[in-house]
Amino acid sequence: MGEATWLNWLLWLPALGMVAVTLLPRGRDSLVRSVTFSCMVLQFFIAAILYQRFDGTVAGLQFATDVPWIRDWGVGYRIGLDGLNVLLVSLTAFLGPLVVAGAWSAVHKDVKLFHVMVLFIQFAMLGTFLAQDLFLFYVFWEAMLIPMFLIIGLWGGERRIYATLKFVLYTAFGSILMLAALIYLVLYTHGSSGYMTFDLRHLSGSQLPLNTQLWLLSAFALSFAIKVPMFPLHTWLPDAHVEAPTGGSVILAGVLLKMGTYGFMKLGFPLFPEAARAMMPVIMTLAVISIVYGACLALVQSDIKKIIAYSSISHLGYVMLGLASLDLIGIQGAILQMVSHGLVAGGLFLMVGMIYERTHSRAVADYGGLAKMLPVFSVFFTILTLASIGLPTTSGFAGEFMALLGAFNAAWPAHLAGNDLPLILAVIAVSGVVLGALYMLWLAQRILFGEARAPHAPLTDLNARETAILVAIVAAIFAIGLFPGEPLAKTELAAREFQQLVAGETIHLGSTR
Amino acid sequence: MNWSEVAKAMLPEHLLLAGMVILLTLEVLRGRPRDGFVVAFLALAAAAAAALTLHVESYTGAPFSGHFSVGPDASLAKFALIALALPVVLISRDDFAETRYYVLLLASLYGACLLVSSDSLPTLFLGLELMSMPVYALVLLAQLRADSAEAALKYLVLGGTATATFLMGVALLYGWSGSMSTAVFAAALGSSDTLPIAGVVLVVASLFLKAAIVPFHGWAPDAYEGASVPVTAFMATIIKAGVLFAALRLFETAPVTRPLVDVLAVLPLVSMIWGNVAAIRQTSFRRMIAYSSIAHAGYLFFALLGAGPGRAQAVIFYVVVYGIMNVLAFTVLPRGTDDERSDRLESLQGLYQRRPFAAIMLAISMLSLAGLPPLPGFVAKFLVFRNVLAAGYTGYAVLGLVASYLGIYFYLRVIQYMFMNTATADQPAGHPRRLALAASLLCLAPAIVLAFFPGWLLDRF
Repeated sequence: MGEATWLNWLLWLPALGMVAVTLLPRGRDSLVRSVTFSCMVLQFFIAAILYQRFDGTVAGLQFATDVPWIRDWGVGYRIGLDGLNVLLVSLTAFLGPLVVAGAWSAVHKDVKLFHVMVLFIQFAMLGTFLAQDLFLFYVFWEAMLIPMFLIIGLWGGERRIYATLKFVLYTAFGSILMLAALIYLVLYTHGSSGYMTFDLRHLSGSQLPLNTQLWLLSAFALSFAIKVPMFPLHTWLPDAHVEAPTGGSVILAGVLLKMGTYGFMKLGFPLFPEAARAMMPVIMTLAVISIVYGACLALVQSDIKKIIAYSSISHLGYVMLGLASLDLIGIQGAILQMVSHGLVAGGLFLMVGMIYERTHSRAVADYGGLAKMLPVFSVFFTILTLASIGLPTTSGFAGEFMALLGAFNAAWPAHLAGNDLPLILAVIAVSGVVLGALYMLWLAQRILFGEARAPHAPLTDLNARETAILVAIVAAIFAIGLFPGEPLAKTELAAREFQQLVAGETIHLGSTR
Repeated sequence: MNWSEVAKAMLPEHLLLAGMVILLTLEVLRGRPRDGFVVAFLALAAAAAAALTLHVESYTGAPFSGHFSVGPDASLAKFALIALALPVVLISRDDFAETRYYVLLLASLYGACLLVSSDSLPTLFLGLELMSMPVYALVLLAQLRADSAEAALKYLVLGGTATATFLMGVALLYGWSGSMSTAVFAAALGSSDTLPIAGVVLVVASLFLKAAIVPFHGWAPDAYEGASVPVTAFMATIIKAGVLFAALRLFETAPVTRPLVDVLAVLPLVSMIWGNVAAIRQTSFRRMIAYSSIAHAGYLFFALLGAGPGRAQAVIFYVVVYGIMNVLAFTVLPRGTDDERSDRLESLQGLYQRRPFAAIMLAISMLSLAGLPPLPGFVAKFLVFRNVLAAGYTGYAVLGLVASYLGIYFYLRVIQYMFMNTATADQPAGHPRRLALAASLLCLAPAIVLAFFPGWLLDRF
């Protein structure tokens, strides 16, 4: 009981913060920033305590709350931590204060509204991860649109209105079909079991005929694939990322994109396991296309933010590949890669924001030899670059390597059985690693080394606030990279359950350690 | 006839009538304009309280057996209608000093209450007409623009057509069954004969006309634009709610069978699509709201597809949420001296900088009308489509949801204007008025309750 209260505090703290900040007088910008920051720090500490207390050896929900909400329909306020969401909740809580700190000197217009919206989206994101009720999940899932719409549209770059409308219209289209599918699923369960509930533990579409499962999974998958984003549905991402203010990009890359992959993991695959198995080749193929295509597009961009944006498409491709492998190592790798990408891409966007604040340019061509001018900046940028490539000892390595290993693990039995597609896809996916190294190192080389030049030179190096933000991120990256066993131990049981649920009988065992 | 039952069951109506009588007396005795507003407000508050009390007591009674009966659901519907009129009256004072405005408003509400309680087709007809007729005059009363008269005339002529169609349908139903009870309609729904089906189609067509369903929607944009802000708010919410309650009264819980399903599904579906698409092109706020209300009428009639108790739940919840949110928008709308200019969407540009409260309220209203969670509009939309899916019309439900998606854009554009664009030219200052503020708070409070505890209203059925 006492512990469930902590989880509720974690979720509702940003909401309380919203109310508090709204009530602050107008024009007291630094007060607004401090209140928001304290709120975020507080919820980070709560998340850290919960993470510590989370027991990876116990199956099922922990710190759970289950209160009826709309009794008539069996909708409940059901939240809880499990192995699938514990890392992502921690990531969200970790990035929260950094977003506020990163925007400290970047946002000057409508400061109050900005911070209210940041708290709002934090609330909605935590809610989406924690929700154990389909209705609650959908409410939080859709609620994320409103603050993001304003964050991009109000504090974004030149084409912000175009970008934000594109973002909202893309994501809303996916969710509208998901809504139809989830109502259908609940009504079907109602028809077969006799009582209506949105409780995820009692919902499973496995009794549905395969054809219906395929339809429903397609509707869910469309929504999630837009959010990830996976290959043909990714076109909103570069616009949204480039036009969003730094804080918005960090939230977007750090947490929001994981909503898609988390959705597949939490809802899409487990609710419709047979359909998921049937659709796996398609999902794997799209994941691999995303990996390679995202990397290729990143290679030819001239805007630093765009490079990182396209790299996100590529990196999340690994997550999908790992999940779709239905191999324990692959699934674990996918979860780790989600966290890692959140840290690395979040950190890179923060760094782009820092340099942009100084020069108001994001063009690669404008920079050169920053290593001489901004040594501290360059050290951090190099570390994040290497983490993005997936160098051993960084978090990127553990995630990417395990996801690929999972893909090969799953591909080999299929290959022996005469199906070469998974193996071919896995081999192609490896080439993404090379491409990733190519575009990131090339970017680092172009802006950090060579002839020293930058708009508005001479530039001041990172100040204490900025350094502190990056130290926190880099520390987390190394912590996961050096000791991946710690987070993996928390997720292993849940990953195994997921695998058994989705893969059904055909489990090929590969042990994690 | 049991007089005490007549007194109690019709208490909300009596209070409205008393308000009208006092208003007319005042008009004759002396013309202090302020009094009209106060009397109307008090009469409405008393009537709303009476309806709420009847609902809480679960009072049932039939003072005029076979014509007029009251149950908890009817009392709740009456309470919703009368309570929605409270904020409308609050924003009316600046536009209308005349006592007759308030008399017309109360008369229209009296009609709406009558139709909710009606048990026979003549009573229903009486209620429907009593509700509509004062509005023809209300549209013209402000006379803000030259084309207000044209709008009112258009509304009058088409309203008259609806009346004739309704009567024709009723006549056919009477000819088929020999009864004037509202139950005839529900019975006719299950029939496969041509006569009752024709009667049903005619009655439904007249309701479509009054609720502005495509292709009977032509009057709505002109009337909404031509009327003054409070009258538009009244038309968009209370009149629409009244028509839907009339439909609910007729359909009861009877299932809709095959040949009628397509009539009842396709036209509302087309309304949703057309309303949402046409709203995108509008440059006038009230015109945009008119198209939005055409789309919302579509959702509301969609809710009738599902049979059983879920139907009343969906319709009443939707009407309440939609009404609150629409009125909320109108209470905070900045108003200038030049109505045509202050009605332009561009006049909302940079509203957040000038009047943050109004901008946030308007944003809440728009997002709720768009059906985005966590706002109550989402629960309402959810309820409607759950009903349609539960009735087994998966295809219609999916198409309807896609149609509702089309609507998101123009609601978001209003927010874009208010928050993201900067004010260009001299925009109406629209200083906040205390009454309008009270009106918006009156809308906001139930909206918050319904957003977080929709069960509070849903459990009342």
